[in-house]
Amino acid sequence: MTLLVEILALPLLGAVTLSVFKSVLPRVLPGIWASLLVLGAFLLSWAAKDRLALLPAAHRVVTGSLFVWTQGFGPAIHWALYLDPLASVWTLIITGVGFLIHVYSNGYMAEDQDRGRFFAELNLFIFSMLLLVLAGNLLVLLIGWALVGLSSYLLIGFWYDRPSAVRAAKKAFVVNTVGDVGILLAIVLLYERFGTLSYQGLFSAFAHAAPAPMFYTWVALLLYLGAMAKSAQFPLHIWLADAMEGPTPVSALIHAATMVTAGVYLIARLYPLLALAPGVGEAIATIGALTALFAATVAVFQKDIKRALAYSTVSQLGYMFMAVGIGAYVAGVFHFMMHAFFKALLFLAAGSVIHALAGEQDMGAMGGLFKKMPWTALGFLAATLAISGIPGFSGYFSKEAILGQALNMGHPWLWAVGAFTAGLTAFYMFRVFFLTFLGKPRDQHLYEHAHEAPWVMTGPVVVLSVLAIIGGYFGTGLNTWLAPTFTHYVGAAHFGLQTGPAWATVVAVALAVAGIGLAWRLYLVQERTVEAGTHKAPGRWAAASWGSDTAWSWTTVLPLQALGDWLTGVERSIVGSLMGVGRGVLAWADELRPIETGLVRRYLLSVMVGTFVLLAYFLVRF
Amino acid sequence: MLTFLLVLIPWIGLALFLLPKAWVKAGAVVLALVEVLLFARALLAPVGKSLATVDWNWIPSLGVHFHLSLDGLSLFLVGLATVITLAAVLTSCRDRGAAYFFWLLLAESTAIGVFTALDLVTFYVFWEVVLVPVFFLLGGWAVGPARRTALKWLIMNLFGSLFMLIGVVAMGVVHAQETGHLTFQLASLAHTTLVPAVAPWVFLSFLVAFIIKAPLWPLHGWMPPAYSDAPAPVTAVISGVLSKLGVFAMVRILVPLFHVEMAQAEPWLMALAAVGLVYGAELALRQKDVKMVAAYGSLSHMAMMALGIFTLTQAGLVGATFYMVAHGVMLGGLFLILGWYEERTGSRELRTLAGLNQAVPKLTVWFQIFALATLGLPGLPGFAGEYMIFQGLIQSNVTVAVVAGVILVVAAWYMLRLFQGAMQGPRATGRAPGDLTTPQVGLIGALGVLVLVLGIWPAGVTSHLPRLAPAGVHQAAQAAPRKGGERA
Repeated sequence: MTLLVEILALPLLGAVTLSVFKSVLPRVLPGIWASLLVLGAFLLSWAAKDRLALLPAAHRVVTGSLFVWTQGFGPAIHWALYLDPLASVWTLIITGVGFLIHVYSNGYMAEDQDRGRFFAELNLFIFSMLLLVLAGNLLVLLIGWALVGLSSYLLIGFWYDRPSAVRAAKKAFVVNTVGDVGILLAIVLLYERFGTLSYQGLFSAFAHAAPAPMFYTWVALLLYLGAMAKSAQFPLHIWLADAMEGPTPVSALIHAATMVTAGVYLIARLYPLLALAPGVGEAIATIGALTALFAATVAVFQKDIKRALAYSTVSQLGYMFMAVGIGAYVAGVFHFMMHAFFKALLFLAAGSVIHALAGEQDMGAMGGLFKKMPWTALGFLAATLAISGIPGFSGYFSKEAILGQALNMGHPWLWAVGAFTAGLTAFYMFRVFFLTFLGKPRDQHLYEHAHEAPWVMTGPVVVLSVLAIIGGYFGTGLNTWLAPTFTHYVGAAHFGLQTGPAWATVVAVALAVAGIGLAWRLYLVQERTVEAGTHKAPGRWAAASWGSDTAWSWTTVLPLQALGDWLTGVERSIVGSLMGVGRGVLAWADELRPIETGLVRRYLLSVMVGTFVLLAYFLVRF
Repeated sequence: MLTFLLVLIPWIGLALFLLPKAWVKAGAVVLALVEVLLFARALLAPVGKSLATVDWNWIPSLGVHFHLSLDGLSLFLVGLATVITLAAVLTSCRDRGAAYFFWLLLAESTAIGVFTALDLVTFYVFWEVVLVPVFFLLGGWAVGPARRTALKWLIMNLFGSLFMLIGVVAMGVVHAQETGHLTFQLASLAHTTLVPAVAPWVFLSFLVAFIIKAPLWPLHGWMPPAYSDAPAPVTAVISGVLSKLGVFAMVRILVPLFHVEMAQAEPWLMALAAVGLVYGAELALRQKDVKMVAAYGSLSHMAMMALGIFTLTQAGLVGATFYMVAHGVMLGGLFLILGWYEERTGSRELRTLAGLNQAVPKLTVWFQIFALATLGLPGLPGFAGEYMIFQGLIQSNVTVAVVAGVILVVAAWYMLRLFQGAMQGPRATGRAPGDLTTPQVGLIGALGVLVLVLGIWPAGVTSHLPRLAPAGVHQAAQAAPRKGGERA
């Protein structure tokens, strides 16, 4: 318990101190201070993990409560914290990858005027995300959940003088609020039935409660709604590509490595609930597979390097949901870890490119950068090989674990979609790599000014490259480490890592190699442009995300605005009719005005008449 | 006695008329500060009954008592009144004159009277006197058609209170007929059972008055001009404190006296509040005036509180009461911020991306914080209130809970539209307005800390609240097995 508070306190301290003192601190200090605090949180998280490992496997939980959040209508709800093997994996990735990205940001944001605010908000994010995973009950989780959304909103809109960034920030916030409401409704349903929101309380209550499949299904679906919004699952994926308006380190940390995987964490955390809700797991896996495929087709046609990576994130999140949906929890967490390494790496390397090209993000203006920035290019290549599932690289192990288990558990269609998407992934990622780093420079002017990033940026790239290459060998260790979490309660019968049949692996790898070959042929041999294919019908639709933004606009945004306009008219007529009533009263008062003559005699007369009438009334009545 | 002092001290404001003009505001600040300190005294020391309660035999022949009590229910609303009034006095122009400050203080006094009254006639007297200071504040210092704005406030509220007066008398008379003892003490009246033929009408007479004062849809006609045209400090007091009178009265009077009628009318009441919730939020989404966005947003929030009350569950009532306190601080702060915004831009027009951020960074930060609190960001107090109200709603009406959930999303939308439209975007051209002054930052910062504390520790308020839900109303419903299986 003690370590948990300190893990949270360090980044919070950074956020508060930097917000208060940002205008007085010398230029380089905010970045160093923020990075050191996150490093401290990482070391503490490591220590907390080691302490956890000392406990007997069946009792690997550290929990406690700080103080009461609210009470007065039932059992009190506490500020409760909770660390178990699952949460510790997340804390290590958040603070570890978070630290590397903080270091990188020292270089990336070196010229920005608002560094203090940037690092304050980055530390706020680390705090919020740690609160989310260390929460001991669903309410604290929701608070962390909303605060990561807030940090995301603040950092997407970091350059608030750009209208596109401001709009993207609002969109991200509002779409995420949809998810928050889902979780809120699930929370009130659970509290109403069980009188508790703590994980331990709920899970032991599940074990004794009478079966209520409808109830659990609704709760699970509402929680999944939250996961969908945060983790950009179809059809709530619309905010993530626009979120690329934020500075690139933000995209790496929040919109690739950590925050967007919160949905995966939520589903894995609540596996006992999923076991009681028939069909929800399958639905999650199916939507995950479709999201993976859908986003991959969109990524193929992107011009902007960051948007291509953003759709690739959506696609990879689809894989993770496929895993947790079919109950392959460790595989899902494994893929989250590997993805954190290689996707953070992709974004940081892309950031170095953007930095070197004075902010240019269009791949149409890139090409041939390998010679100029070899470290960055090699890092990007390592990550691209990893995400493509080339044997030996990290992504291969986790993706094969998911696909293999899908086959083992009797979901051939999920496997087929996943394997096909893997081929597509290799194609679009190598398309990005070839267009950016190989071939001829397409903008000679930008090319000539390009340069390798400073060491403070290449350092994290190199570290992440190593992790993206060797990360796959953590699999077995992860399997053992997470076992206590998934065996503590019933509901995760097939949580462990599995290997599928050999032919399946061969097919998936063959598809990936074919994808690389096709990208080679199209973009290096035939030298197609970045716009190739986006002029004709299917490509044009795919590039525009198959019209999902338009669909949301027509079905939701415009009707709500139209309702608002219509009600504005109604309001005018209500207020108008009120004025009518007022005028009527005044007119009536004018009619009565002659009575007020000012003559005392007349008044006395009316008093007497009144008294007489009253007397007469009572005489008649009795 | 403490309670009586809280009501009495603002009347010393009459002496402001004797002070030289330069000293008037300082005098008002002192009085408002004394009020805050008195509240702090009540909060810090667990006060005994003798200190917190006055119960004088006011009009013996009619059984009327002057009965005020600083109980768990009223404690934090009284605190809200003192804090927001102090903030309003501090942010008002120095040269407003003695009358203006006196009316502000009088509004505080009467609001505290309403919050603490435990006798129906005492309650009614304060309820009516509230109209006077606000009438003069609107008539004297609002912009635009001030006279019409003030008259709308007065006439609509008088209309409501007249019916309520009939209700008050009826309650006393019926109780006297039943027990042979004429009294207006709420504690006694709670045990009066009205005959079925009369009960709905008496209930309605109170309900209409409360709906107008809050205001709730559809009797909110006085609100838009009053909120938008009054000076910011006055709007802060009306929206922050006085708007709570109507919903507070529902908890204080309707629930104990008319819970049977409320339970019978529950579907209608829920529908009324749900429509208001949607209506306010939708209008807020399309307003082109910054204060009107906040005004219609507030209309929607008031409906949220009403929903919590109409559930007649402990969670809903606690949530609504907590939300009153939280909303008072948030909206009070937000209207002060909008006032500063208007002062700097010279306009209330909500443009798209006006780009003031660079010029006024401090104002922007606090605007952002209060906008987030108002839209119900979890971790801030708006959310805590909403959560508890949802906890009540889920027991009584799941459909309305879903509608309210949708409105939370719309709330995020209209509040961000307001904040971003006013502050962000490409740097505004033309002369850069000045940022907040240090005293202004101090004031809004203090309110901000209050918001933060309420959000992190709602138990600080809710643990003081007594049992609010009437016994028996939902017992039948709760005993029956619920859809989806039995409770373990």
